Amino acid sequence: MSGDKPIELPSEAELAEMSRDDLVKLGTKMDGVELVHYEEKFPVPGTRAERRAQRTVALWFMISAVSGLAFLGVFLFWPWQYESPSNPEGHLLHMLYNPLIGLFLGLSVTGLGVGALLYTKKFIPDELAVQQRHDGPSAQVDRATLVAELADAGERSGIGRRSLIKRTAGLGAGVLGLGVAAVPLGALIKNPHSDSETKNSLWHTGWKAEKGEKVYLRRHTGNFHDVSLVRPEDVEPGGFETVFPFRESERDDEHALVAALKRADAPVMLIRLRPNQAVTKRAGQEDFNYGDLYAYSKICTHLGCPTSLFEQQTGLLLCPCHQSQFDVFEYAKPRFGPATRPLPQLPITVDEDGYLVARSDFIEAVGPAFWERKS
Amino acid sequence: MTTTTKRPRGARTKLRRRVAGLLALGFGLLSAGMLFAAFAPQAQTAQAQQQDALVRQGEQIYLNTCQSCHGKSLEGVQDRGPSLIGVGDAAVYFQTSSGRMPMARQEAQAIRKPAKLSPEEINALMAYIDASGGEGPKKPTETGEGLRGDNPARGGELFRLNCSSCHNFTGRGGALSSGKFAPALDGVSEEQIYTAMLSGPQNMPKFGERQLTPEEKKDIIAYVKSVTDGNNNSGGNPLGGFGPVSEGLIAFIVGIAALIGVTLWIGAKA
Repeated sequence: MSGDKPIELPSEAELAEMSRDDLVKLGTKMDGVELVHYEEKFPVPGTRAERRAQRTVALWFMISAVSGLAFLGVFLFWPWQYESPSNPEGHLLHMLYNPLIGLFLGLSVTGLGVGALLYTKKFIPDELAVQQRHDGPSAQVDRATLVAELADAGERSGIGRRSLIKRTAGLGAGVLGLGVAAVPLGALIKNPHSDSETKNSLWHTGWKAEKGEKVYLRRHTGNFHDVSLVRPEDVEPGGFETVFPFRESERDDEHALVAALKRADAPVMLIRLRPNQAVTKRAGQEDFNYGDLYAYSKICTHLGCPTSLFEQQTGLLLCPCHQSQFDVFEYAKPRFGPATRPLPQLPITVDEDGYLVARSDFIEAVGPAFWERKS
Repeated sequence: MTTTTKRPRGARTKLRRRVAGLLALGFGLLSAGMLFAAFAPQAQTAQAQQQDALVRQGEQIYLNTCQSCHGKSLEGVQDRGPSLIGVGDAAVYFQTSSGRMPMARQEAQAIRKPAKLSPEEINALMAYIDASGGEGPKKPTETGEGLRGDNPARGGELFRLNCSSCHNFTGRGGALSSGKFAPALDGVSEEQIYTAMLSGPQNMPKFGERQLTPEEKKDIIAYVKSVTDGNNNSGGNPLGGFGPVSEGLIAFIVGIAALIGVTLWIGAKA
């Protein structure tokens, strides 16, 4: 191919006569490779050294097999369930589950790998092969003939003349391409603000009353299906709790009860200040609180982290992500950090049964700024 | 139903029973009265005297160790210490048993240190503060393991909702503003966790019994106890307990180094 000296190929009769060694030599020669040194590790089979090498390799494969079995056993039968530390024995067994499956699976994989590695080192013959490398580009004649072959194939397929085929193929590929492009581009083209009235829009939250239904403040009791409504006296002065929206129509709807606790825009911090605390209220929002109770969105106005580190003496709400601080004594105005807008305040009151309810949704969008937001 | 022939005997038994009942009642009333006269007033006085003695002892301790910051009669001192009238014994117990009070010096916040007051002195001080009136939260009567709930999973849910923003989800603590911090929860007793939730020490918010019920508080304590003090470290080392940040970093550095080492070793042996 590369224009080196041609190899003499054996005739059919000669080929039949050749031994396997000769054939191997011929094959490598045809690929331009010459075996300079090619030596069996154990030329005499059955020596003590060979048996020892065999045992070493087999040992590693056995380690792998035994660890694999141990892994299976632990995975299937170990007491993996959580046990509290007050039961030291059960707790220890539970704690050992993870390390043990890791250890045995790791040993099993390692055993296989080491075995294969040792086998290669101990039994695959040493060889030293020389292959000639040709310099520069292919020969002029090779390049010319290849170009001619390609051009000829194109010409003979006749695609140039058959415009119907060409156009329908283009159409098919084009439409497919459009479909593929529509998937990522579609999300960019969709208008997120076409829906600006429902509680699922950017402008509203889960606190928006729909069909005139009362929206209660609900606490999370650790059980997603519990409905525990909040009364003003539940929160101690200097206390705070996170509350979520609840509507009577959701009471028997387990899915809605869970979803309400997981909505990204819903968490509200209900804070009860100590009596006689001087408070500056935001203009136009003087009646949003109920007595000492103030309800602020938990979503940071910078990038939307939960700002729930509440210092009850200094009245600061800290955001853990970028250290913004909001002053609860002054309508949750930002005091420090990158946030620029106060936390939105939820207008609350108490209904005739003594439960805290939201008077309306937030009067502004919660969370970080977005393009259409003017303030 | 009784028959006519048995009636006289039945009537006699009835009479006997009535007389016996009246006698027993009379005897019971008499002896109860005597017992009451013998013990009750005396016991009451003794208890009251004991309580008084405890309050007086508490007052002495207060005057010796607390009054410089909290004032001669619990009224508080401007810029030094708040009024303690009606704070309740839960706050006293938490602050003194965790060594935060008496404070060593005025700084960003009182820090945990070995308790200065003995348990008896703390009891006396609690009685004294309680006697000052008010409806402050009381230390629960249960102690130790009795304050651990049986549902740490639910406790974990509540801990992550109410506590983890400051204390970290495995109770490692974290920074607050201006040098203040939420402490790590290692080595904190059940009573201290409970009274801290009740009283809201320093900048921690209060979690009253109507907000987190005693059962919920106990579940939270069970959770805290299951993840602090070296518990729940399946890997042997918590790596700071910060979760994926330190774990990922260590896994990356150690793992990559080990892989490079093994590769070099295989290459060197080949």
